[in-house]
Amino acid sequence: MQKRTVTPKDIINNYGAMFAFIVTVVVFSFTARGFWSGRNLENILIQSTSLGICAFGLTFVLMTGEIDLSYGGVIGLVGAVLAGMLKEGHPIGLVTMVCLSIGLGTGLLNAILIVVLKLPSFLASVAVMFICMGAERVYNQGITTWIRDTEVLAIVQAHIGPVPSLVVYLFILFAICWVFQTQTRFGQYVRGLGENIVAVQEVGIRAMLLKSLVFVIAGLLFAFAGYIETLRIGGAVMYSGKQLLLFVLAACFLGTTIFKAGKANFPGTLIGAFFLYTLLSGFTALGMKFYLVPVAQGLILIIAVAVSSVRRGRIEQVQF
Amino acid sequence: MADQRDIVIKTAKVSKSFPGVRALKELDFEVMRGEVHALCGENGAGKSTLMKIIVREYTEDEGDVFIEGQNVKDTGIRGVQTLGLSLIHQDLNLIPMFTVAQNICLGREPLSRLRTIDWKAMRQKAAGFLNEVTSEINVEERVENLSNSQQQMVAIARSLVTSPRILILDEPTARMDLKASNSFFSFLERAKQKGLTVVYISHRLEEIYRICDRITVLRDGRKIVTARTLDLPQTELVKYMLGREITQQVPKERVPIGEVKLSVRSLYPKEKGEDIHFDLRSGEILGIVGSIGSGKSEMARALFGADSKKEGTLSVNGKEVIIGTPRDAIEHGFALIPEERRAEGLVGNESVRKNITLAALKKRFCGGPSWIKQDLEVQTVKEYIKMLGLATPSTEKEVQFLSGGTQQKVVVGKWLMTDASIYILDEPTKGIDVGGKYEIYKLIVDLARQGAGIIFISNELTEVLALCDRILVMFHGRIIKEVDASKANQEELLFYVMGGRDYAETDGNSKRYH
Repeated sequence: MQKRTVTPKDIINNYGAMFAFIVTVVVFSFTARGFWSGRNLENILIQSTSLGICAFGLTFVLMTGEIDLSYGGVIGLVGAVLAGMLKEGHPIGLVTMVCLSIGLGTGLLNAILIVVLKLPSFLASVAVMFICMGAERVYNQGITTWIRDTEVLAIVQAHIGPVPSLVVYLFILFAICWVFQTQTRFGQYVRGLGENIVAVQEVGIRAMLLKSLVFVIAGLLFAFAGYIETLRIGGAVMYSGKQLLLFVLAACFLGTTIFKAGKANFPGTLIGAFFLYTLLSGFTALGMKFYLVPVAQGLILIIAVAVSSVRRGRIEQVQF
Repeated sequence: MADQRDIVIKTAKVSKSFPGVRALKELDFEVMRGEVHALCGENGAGKSTLMKIIVREYTEDEGDVFIEGQNVKDTGIRGVQTLGLSLIHQDLNLIPMFTVAQNICLGREPLSRLRTIDWKAMRQKAAGFLNEVTSEINVEERVENLSNSQQQMVAIARSLVTSPRILILDEPTARMDLKASNSFFSFLERAKQKGLTVVYISHRLEEIYRICDRITVLRDGRKIVTARTLDLPQTELVKYMLGREITQQVPKERVPIGEVKLSVRSLYPKEKGEDIHFDLRSGEILGIVGSIGSGKSEMARALFGADSKKEGTLSVNGKEVIIGTPRDAIEHGFALIPEERRAEGLVGNESVRKNITLAALKKRFCGGPSWIKQDLEVQTVKEYIKMLGLATPSTEKEVQFLSGGTQQKVVVGKWLMTDASIYILDEPTKGIDVGGKYEIYKLIVDLARQGAGIIFISNELTEVLALCDRILVMFHGRIIKEVDASKANQEELLFYVMGGRDYAETDGNSKRYH
């Protein structure tokens, strides 16, 4: 038997961006006042929640070698429906079901367009995004709807022990996704079909069905992200999905540089999401002008990705 | 002959056509239980088509296929697998980032009580199958980190998961190094003892005569002969494979051969090559032949600096040069015409003009830092079109709409413009019709007449023999034989390509290869 060797290069290669994240946290804790305060850390975690959940959905899709940008519309539509239906006095249980059905519906629509009709996933999912945005605009007529029901808002404002409930949801979902991906046949085949679909089909796995299922799961996660985001803000702001569009993509692709070089993975996505909000929060705490924060974020991201590309050509972008 | 029940695979008058080609013609083929049956034939003889029909990846147009006595007309791929059939394709279809164990158990992962994957059981299961083939691979290693040989072993181990009784192997040793093929052969011998039936497609004489009980030769989609290995001398086999002498019009004229243009000493392309030494003279056409995996294309890429790993020395016109990148190579007058010209040699949706001037743009048509002298460019391209006899309506026609032969000439034209004097042509006539081939041969001879040195890599032995002055035979990454083209014949050449050692001694005298 040959011994598996792990060289320092492999470690930097696989965990480089992780180091960058740790260094960033350390630097902020010395320079930015109040960075280490419980309140600030809690804020970072809470803000990362909807981004993270949405990014989990996208991570599943990226694993199959496709992309799904429909969340840019789904999040906003779910938010509008949630706030609107609550205002009309519908019970939260029904509203929740409707919100998740929206995710189920858009997921199925994506699956039909991309898997059955074989449209390119980028275009098909962007089209679905636009349709959702249009539906959102029609539904709320461009008006921000606030949620006044304190019992409902308590869902996200509550603490479980010292931990905010949102953070608990995030970690539970992360755990479920991660276990599914790494410990079940389903997860194996999802990854496998993204890597070499012929190999998966050759052993008799129904790859197309599996891919459709992934789009549906992603749709549900997007809808849940929209649900959480709306409750966190306390109302539905127009096109709230658009705000998250690039952040979610950035979290996933940053994640590809963190653990498995070049491959979408859940721990990477989670860290990616935290990383983005840590930068935002840290630079703000440093007193940086708000319009300069994106520049600083961009620079740090470049450094993080560059560190993990030590071995030239090793970081491949996920193909879609 | 034998009892009907002992025939595990039987095809009866099977025909199959693809658009424009009759791949198989009324083919009868039988495999007996427990034998290792070799399937031989040149490229395009129909071997892979026949195997794909047997495993139901293709459906025959006419005729019947029986497996274990059962007509499989309406049986699918999964169906024949349950009959005990397993095919290992030339392209292995492994998942590179998965571990060996994950690949072997793909689709059949052992589960724990919680329906999660039982990794320990999976490793054991995978190791069990892998150990039947080799003991040198760690099941936890990722497939992307394995060598070609090891990946082939993994593919074989994976095919054992369905406990097949009939194993079909399509050139399994093409990617293996010598050590791997040795352990592969001991696996085959063990499998044979266990009563496994094996159909074995190979281009290597040594392997065929080492392991196979019977041999079937295909040519042009027909079965030529089935014989016991013991009754079929190697030279005889080669004759069956080639068939009648195909006389091809190759405009060979002997061009005076001049000084040494290029000398290569101890070149090591990647891990493949060993001891590659040769000289190329001006006006000389040097043929290089060898089967898939013999390392001839790798050598071409290494000479051109396209693969970075190499050692040894190269001298051009007597001066030692260092070629690390294709740019260095072009500087020293090299031109590479790659096998995959559509992917590597041409920009398909660009015009003839832009393709021809691509490599020489900077040298010949640039006024300022990047300003292209358009008039001069068009004028020169017109001259080249005339000189090369390019069948194109204008300088602006997109090359993708031209015939294969014309495209190839565009690539040659591109290098002519750089004043190249050492041409490396990798399968320049592949996929080109007879007329197009003739044009290309003429062009090559013209290049030689102008004093260029030409390395001509090809699988078509007829053209190599007709066109070249000298021929080097590669096998397992080494040059094993140098042949004078004017004295050799096709059978002798094919014998060496398949790894034979001494043609004169073997011919008619001894029947067994050792």
